[in-house]
Amino acid sequence: MKVPLHYNLRSLFVRRSSTLLTIFGIGATVAVLAGVLALQQGFATLFTESGREGLVMFLRPGATNEGDSLWQRDRAERLVKTLPEIATDEDGRPLASIECYLAIRRARVAGGETNVPIRGVEPMSKTLHADVVSVDGQWFKPGADEVVVGEKLVGRIQNCRVGDVIQLNITPMRVVGILKSEGPFASEIWGDLDRILEALNRPTPNRVIARLDAGVSWRELDTRQRKDKEVPAKVLSEREYLTGQTAALSIILLSLGGFLALVMGTAAVFTATNTMLSAIAARTYEIGILLATGFRPIPIFFSFLFESLVLGLLGGAVGCLMALPLNGVETGTTNFQTFTEIAFAFRVTPTVLITSVLFSLVLGLLGGAIPAWRAARLTAIEALRRR
Amino acid sequence: MMRLAWRNLRKHPVRALLTIGSMAVAVFLLCTLISLITTLEAGVKQAGTRRLWIQSAVSLFVDLPTSYESKIQAVDGVARVAKWQWFGGYYQERSNFFAQFAVDPAKLFELWPELEIANGTKESFVGRRDTCVIGQGLADEYGWKVGDVIPIIGGLFAKPDESSWDFEVAAVYRSTKATVDDRTLFFHWENFYETMKSITGTPPNVGVFIVERTPEAEPTSIMATIDGMFENGPQRVQTTTEAEFNLQFVSMIGNLPRFIAFIGAGVLIAIVLATVNTMLMAAREQTHEIGILKALGFADRSVFWYFLGQAVLLCAIGGGIGLAIVQVTSPGLAASMASAFPGYKVLASTYATAGLVALAVGLVAGVIPAWQSSHLNSVNALRAEN
Repeated sequence: MKVPLHYNLRSLFVRRSSTLLTIFGIGATVAVLAGVLALQQGFATLFTESGREGLVMFLRPGATNEGDSLWQRDRAERLVKTLPEIATDEDGRPLASIECYLAIRRARVAGGETNVPIRGVEPMSKTLHADVVSVDGQWFKPGADEVVVGEKLVGRIQNCRVGDVIQLNITPMRVVGILKSEGPFASEIWGDLDRILEALNRPTPNRVIARLDAGVSWRELDTRQRKDKEVPAKVLSEREYLTGQTAALSIILLSLGGFLALVMGTAAVFTATNTMLSAIAARTYEIGILLATGFRPIPIFFSFLFESLVLGLLGGAVGCLMALPLNGVETGTTNFQTFTEIAFAFRVTPTVLITSVLFSLVLGLLGGAIPAWRAARLTAIEALRRR
Repeated sequence: MMRLAWRNLRKHPVRALLTIGSMAVAVFLLCTLISLITTLEAGVKQAGTRRLWIQSAVSLFVDLPTSYESKIQAVDGVARVAKWQWFGGYYQERSNFFAQFAVDPAKLFELWPELEIANGTKESFVGRRDTCVIGQGLADEYGWKVGDVIPIIGGLFAKPDESSWDFEVAAVYRSTKATVDDRTLFFHWENFYETMKSITGTPPNVGVFIVERTPEAEPTSIMATIDGMFENGPQRVQTTTEAEFNLQFVSMIGNLPRFIAFIGAGVLIAIVLATVNTMLMAAREQTHEIGILKALGFADRSVFWYFLGQAVLLCAIGGGIGLAIVQVTSPGLAASMASAFPGYKVLASTYATAGLVALAVGLVAGVIPAWQSSHLNSVNALRAEN
């Protein structure tokens, strides 16, 4: 015979001060975990969702990111001109662009220094990166000492408003427009490839990006191009590349989240156990009545476990509610592959919520196990005598 | 009265132990979080004051012309200047991460008095161009000793056939200061220079110059002079103290202190609620006893202190155990975080802070039930079931 569930639900309500304190205790634990996960999700989705499968990039073999990848200019040009798989536009021009990339020192508006990526591009880049649009001012003129800055830099980094001047070593660059993008480009400064290389006194671009003919697999191209005698290169899709960029930070955040969940979870399980033990101690007489009226120990065990699970679930719900306001909050962190600062927003995704609720259920389950077992081991006579 | 409080805790051993356990866990977590911040700060605070760092004003990744060395050497107040190049290679797998630098071997130990030879000799390192000196931490981790050859794959400075750079260990150093890393490999600048020149056809540049100033020289004037010398290129430089140099890497981690404060607040809320809960339970179960105490003539004030005492006692025991856990586990934690947080250390002030927090939680958690109990009417209290 099953113990009616509303017996347990009511008893949670009867002891509401203790129930509430436990719920908020579990809630705080769940909120911390959800916050760390939301940070990781915000960072990871910024990169992975903006990467396109149809766009491929060519890096120096052995390079793990654009910063590491230094090309000789003539080799990059030969690649763009001669690789048959690169698609062409209606005028027959290859849909490919050579880009340079460097993390430059910039002063934050709030004080201190940070590293901001600057990207020199060829005119074709704007066609290839279709989501990059200019929202304010105008696009830089090819060959001019002009740049456009990502919208996420405005207000965070000094000299990033239209009309300002950004000093690149000894060359002043005028900010003529603001660039908008869903992906990490919104934290970058863009200018003309030749002017940027010249200003930085660097002869080497960092990557070639291109659109391939329909049906060409970048994986096959990668296998072939790596062994190429003339222009050896590592080929990967933009999505694959951007996903890889999040790996280091994701591992740090996920292991931090795991560590916190373990340590704070232990404390939360102790609290839940305490609450349930005291709930059961106060109801020993009632348990005696249940046993005397023919309820078996196993249903009693499950009924108290259920009570504890409800406690955990409510805690999980509170924790998720506490974490929800974080959604959309802008923050910045360093992409440890390129040492550049990337602005992004916390994202409380369904994954975060589901993980948090599951975690809270585990807390309830672990916290309820010992007390429920204790309750089930009572005998009717012994329990009824405790009055 | 205190003995009664102690007896009462022992009457409910499971509950007392669980409360103590969660307190211990919270104190451990707080200490760990605070120590992450203090460890980062120590790298800045305890930086060398004699060394100045000259890097490109444009970017962390832009190198400086080798010709700058002699110009910097000529500046008033500069005792010596050395080249310093981040190599960014790895041993076998990319995950085997440790720092490697190409340096001027003879100047290394002059600039870094914090480094002490543990095995081998300085002379054998300085004398042979294909050798390196490694930290004790690395030697222990990979089992390397003097005479071994360490093959390093050049990540940033790859050889054309992706073959390794081979360095023979000439000496092992020990670091006398926790903030100076003992997991670094230093090798000859000349070796780096010649090899890169033959690979690329052009001589490589220098990542950073390190200057040791003379004791009486004014650092700000040296920094201004050097920055001014290269104002018109070819590469502008930024000369900083070692503390500022280290700070740029700390600030890269972003707003870590605020992030940790957020987590710490969550931990504290959870633990305060848990302890309040326990103390309320304890008070409820002792209602009958309170009636007896009051009937015997104990004043409200005594009952108040009795309950507050119980709470503080629980938290003090829990906090003490937590601090003991910190003490026992910190060497292990330091070892596992050696690459991300070199020199991880729990300061005495951190122990004190966490201990005080534990007591404060006990006070906060004890006040409500203590106040409630002390205001109970003895007749009503006695009527309560035992």
